[in-house]
Amino acid sequence: MESMLTLLWPEIALFITTCVVMILGQSKFKDTRDLCPGLAAIGLIVSGFLAWYFRGVTSDAVLPHLPYYGKLVICGVGLMLLMLVAGSADRELEADAAKGKPFEPIRSTRGEFYSFVLFSLTGLMLCTSANDLILLFLALELTSLPTYVMVSISTNRNRSMEAGVKYFFLGALGAAIFLYGFAMIYGGTGTTNFEDISRTVAAQAAGGGINPLVILGVVLSLVGLGFKIASVPMHFYTPDVYQGSSSSVAGFLAFVPKAAGFFAILSICGLVGWSHGVTEQSLPEGPRVLLWVVAALTMTLGNVLAIMQRSVKRILAYSSIAHSGYMLVGVIAGPGPSGADFERNGIAAVLFYLVSYGVMTIGAFAVLACLEKKRSDGSLDEVDDIDDLRGLARTRPVLGWTMVLSSMGLLGLPPLLGFLGKLPLFTAGIGAKEIILVLVLGINSAIAAYYYLRLAYTCFIESPETTPNAPKVVEAPFAARRWAGVISMLCVVGLAVFGSWLGNLAEIGATYRPPKYVQPAAAVVPVSAPTP
Amino acid sequence: MIDVLLTLASGPTPGPMAQATLFHYLIVSALMFGIGLIGFLTRRNLIIMFLCTELMFQAAGLSLIAFSRFHLNHTGETFVIFVLTIAAAEAALALALVVLLFRRQETLDAGVWSQLRG
Repeated sequence: MESMLTLLWPEIALFITTCVVMILGQSKFKDTRDLCPGLAAIGLIVSGFLAWYFRGVTSDAVLPHLPYYGKLVICGVGLMLLMLVAGSADRELEADAAKGKPFEPIRSTRGEFYSFVLFSLTGLMLCTSANDLILLFLALELTSLPTYVMVSISTNRNRSMEAGVKYFFLGALGAAIFLYGFAMIYGGTGTTNFEDISRTVAAQAAGGGINPLVILGVVLSLVGLGFKIASVPMHFYTPDVYQGSSSSVAGFLAFVPKAAGFFAILSICGLVGWSHGVTEQSLPEGPRVLLWVVAALTMTLGNVLAIMQRSVKRILAYSSIAHSGYMLVGVIAGPGPSGADFERNGIAAVLFYLVSYGVMTIGAFAVLACLEKKRSDGSLDEVDDIDDLRGLARTRPVLGWTMVLSSMGLLGLPPLLGFLGKLPLFTAGIGAKEIILVLVLGINSAIAAYYYLRLAYTCFIESPETTPNAPKVVEAPFAARRWAGVISMLCVVGLAVFGSWLGNLAEIGATYRPPKYVQPAAAVVPVSAPTP
Repeated sequence: MIDVLLTLASGPTPGPMAQATLFHYLIVSALMFGIGLIGFLTRRNLIIMFLCTELMFQAAGLSLIAFSRFHLNHTGETFVIFVLTIAAAEAALALALVVLLFRRQETLDAGVWSQLRG
């Protein structure tokens, strides 16, 4: 219990910051209101420090070092996300206030916006330290409930409302499905504690086979969690939601729910373990077949549909779907034989790829968030069409190069970060003898080249548009977003060269502790049902 | 049909209920979940769609309670309390969203909101 509290210090620090930010955002003094993003950043740094300081504390789940790795990278990527969303809230209200109108707290969304960002990140951290199905369910909901509101209030237009309502309803559907799955896991094992569940499952496997309720529960949970990571049966909301919300919130959606989904999927798969399948290092057959089909369909569908898009946000949304498919290959491969190195460890590959995908996609969304279209009547709108990016590397070199490097990184071009992340997925997949799936992964990387190269080509080679009636592309007045882009660009190059420490960290985070076998008779659920 | 109901109502312990096992609870829960899922996929009224997701949440809650009784521990019942809390939070959020949508376009039909396509 005490070690659990020690484990939760980063979350506690972040939660306190959240509450303070929520109150400060309603202040009638502009200087106090402007403190919100800075304070949020300080909260993130403090909780990152706490995560590092308590690095020796492990959770008693099957992945004991996941909280340490997870919280460190959440703080790092969270800071970039905070820079990306800084300034999205209250732009019109602040403009009115600058003209002398009184500030109305009831119209302000600033306090809520930043505290929802932090609430969501707190939930994401809790997903890593969850050691119980109840805690995992609450953490997942804490991650997603604020994002529904963030999408709805991200812009003032109807399309944001539509995106918000689509996201909310499908999110509630996904939550209901994985909740039903959790109920089945509880039914099959009689406990919600991860360690007890994995021990019971090991005993069941040793004593004649895992209870079918557990397998059904894991399958349902994986389908429901597919909503969070945007995998195939639950993917169709993604492009609409990304296009409807503002670019910076779309960048947030690309990382945070996906990371929460993958942390939860790793925990759920860890419950049944990568040791009760056909071979000694594979998942049980039901979840494995499901993940296999979902992974293959997800990457193929994402990449093929991305080719047909003209909207950059939709391209990035389909690319986000495809990347979920890539990462599922690592989940299927699992931790490999005990003591396996980084190349063979699928979990480490997933954890590493999650960070590199987040960093790269933040760069692409930062470029979009830095630009605005100015219509002839003076109204401003977000940049979305791919033609708006023409010749960006010539007109605005920093933004243009960020876009080029991000898309090349997402493509997985050798010297960049994306390649370094994708290579372990291939080797882990081959090590787990999933040759066909690795072939699908390879073919999909080739398909993906088409639209990533088109993005880079548009920015880098095409000439800037000169037709007189076309809306003029201007820069948005947010310095922090440019910095988010620059940091992402530096990471895409720098982490590829000096990224071995992150790889080592991912390897620590992926430490897999298989459940200990106990006497089968002690824990097996009785077959006959007593009358309640 | 009425005869059966009358027999059930007048008897001291209704026959079928006396043998209600875990299986029966799970069947009811699965039916609730299925009805919720089908309703969510076929209906286009936002409020009805939301009620269907609630139905699915409560189906999970019902099976949690049944399992809790079956395993003779209170974990499942604890879980249900948290599920109810989350369901209440989601209800607040859903109604707020629906009110906002209704103010913009005076209808609850989900089909009206199809600006985003491609």
